Amino acid sequence: MSHIQTLPTRDLCESAKKGGCGECQTSCQSACKTSCGIANQQCENQKESK
Amino acid sequence: MIHQYRLGGKNIVLDTCSGSVHLVDDVAYDVISLYESHSKEDIVREVAARYPARPEASPKEVAACVDEVTELKKAGRLFAPDTFAPMAGELKARTGGVVKALCLHVAHTCNLNCAYCFASQGRYHGERAVMSLETGKQALDFLVAHSGTRRNLEVDFFGGEPLMNFPMIRDLVAYARSLEKDTGKHFRFTLTTNGLNIDDEVIDFCNRECHNVVLSLDGRKEIHDALRVDYQGRGSWDRIVPKFQKLVAARGGKGYYMRGTFTHANPDFLKDIQVMLDLGFTELSMEPVVCAPGDPAALTEEDKPIVFRQYEELAQLMIARRREGRPFTFYHYMIDLTGGPCIYKRISGCGSGTEYMAVTPWGDLYPCHQFVGEEGFRLGDIRHGVDNLAVQQEFASCNVYAREECRSCWARLYCSGGCAANAWHSTGSVKGVYAYGCDLFRKRMECAIMVEAVRQTEGNA
Repeated sequence: MSHIQTLPTRDLCESAKKGGCGECQTSCQSACKTSCGIANQQCENQKESK
Repeated sequence: MIHQYRLGGKNIVLDTCSGSVHLVDDVAYDVISLYESHSKEDIVREVAARYPARPEASPKEVAACVDEVTELKKAGRLFAPDTFAPMAGELKARTGGVVKALCLHVAHTCNLNCAYCFASQGRYHGERAVMSLETGKQALDFLVAHSGTRRNLEVDFFGGEPLMNFPMIRDLVAYARSLEKDTGKHFRFTLTTNGLNIDDEVIDFCNRECHNVVLSLDGRKEIHDALRVDYQGRGSWDRIVPKFQKLVAARGGKGYYMRGTFTHANPDFLKDIQVMLDLGFTELSMEPVVCAPGDPAALTEEDKPIVFRQYEELAQLMIARRREGRPFTFYHYMIDLTGGPCIYKRISGCGSGTEYMAVTPWGDLYPCHQFVGEEGFRLGDIRHGVDNLAVQQEFASCNVYAREECRSCWARLYCSGGCAANAWHSTGSVKGVYAYGCDLFRKRMECAIMVEAVRQTEGNA
C-alpha cells in the first residue's frame, strides 16, 4: 500500500531552467497592499498557455 | 527542508525547495520526521511500535514506507536541497531598470478619518493634495519609457481616497488607452476606494476599465464604524454597503476584493468575514492592521492564538461552502500549486523600489505606497527618474537570501522574503523581519495548502 499521496505541483527546480520572464504581477499590487505573498499569484506564461 | 503539520484531518508534508506537497498517513508522517536522523532499522522498529494494532504499521509496511520516502528523495520531491541561492537577485539584475507597476497617489486627501490609517488620513504626513492630469500623464509616460519589453503594466489608483480625484482618473485612463495603441503595452488598472463617492458613473467606469477594484469594508457594522468614520465622527457602513453591493452586482464577474482590516478590536475577524458573505460578497480579503507597536489598534501576542483560530475556522468554512456549492475566495488562501510563480519570482522579493514604485501627487517616486512621506526613501521623480541610487540598490538587494531568518523558514518560497515596509516599521531595516507578520503568514499558508489539498482530493474543482 502507498502511504504517500503527492499532489500535482509546479516543479520549482524545473522552473529555474525557463522561468524569470518578469511578466507576473508585482507582489502586493492590486490587492492587500500591506503584506507580501507570492503564493497566490499566477505565472503569466502558464496562465496564457492554459 | 521539509515542514510537516496536521490540519483539517490531513497529515501534510511540504518540501520547501521542490515545492512538493504530500498527503501522508500516520506511518509516513512519522517515517518522514525520522528519516534524516535515523537508520532504516531504527525507523521501522520505532514506528511499528507506535501503532501495534494497525496493519499499515507492520514492520514490513513501515519498511516499504521508508523505501517510498527514499524514492521521493531520489526524485527530488522530498528533502530537496536549496540550490537557488546563487540565483537570488538574478531576475532583478536581468531586468534592472525595468518598471512594470506604479501606485499612483492621485489624492493625498480623504473623506474619511480612520483612526488606524497608515497614510495618516491620506496625507502621508504631508499636505493635502491631488494629482494633476499632467502629472498623471507624465507618470504613465515614465512607466512606458521604463517598461522595457514588458507588455503588462499595472497601475493602481490609490490615496487617500482616489475617488476624490475621479475626473482626473477617468481622463488619465483615456490617455492610457491611447498609449496602448501607440506602444503595444497593456495597462491593468486597479482602484482602491472607501466607497463614499461611488455613483453610477464610477460603477460604469470601474466595470469598463478596471481589472480589479478593492473595496474597503471591515465587516461588522460596529467594528467598521468604530474606526472608519468621517470628519464628523459618523460611521460610514450604512452609506457604503449599498454602493458596494450595486458595484459588485454590476461587475459581471470581473475582479474585485472586499478588503477589511482587523485590529486588536476584532482579532475574531471571522465574524466580519461572515458579515461580508451575508451581504453577498464572495471575493474577500482581511488584512492584519499595520501600525506602530504601541498603537491601541496594534495586534498583541494575546491576540495571536485568536487570529490563528480564525484562520483555521475560515479554512473549514471555505471547504464547507464549496461542498455546498456556495464557494468564496479568500485572497490569502488562493494558491495555484501547478500554475504559481517560477523560482525566480519566489526568491527575488516583492519588487518594491525596482519594478514597482509609488508616485505622489507631485510626481515624486518612492519604493512603495507604504514609504511615501518618509523623505529618506524618496527615490527621485517621474520627470528626472531615479537619482537616489543608494536606496534603490538597498531595495534591489532585498531577496529571500538577504534575510538570515528566512534561510531557515519553510515558507520562504511562498512569501519571497516578506514586506520591506513591514520589516522597516518593525525593525528599522528593510532587510529586517517582521516576526509577528511571519507567524501569521505561515499560519495562512498552512491553511491555504490544506484547503487546496482537500479540494484536489475531493475533485470538486
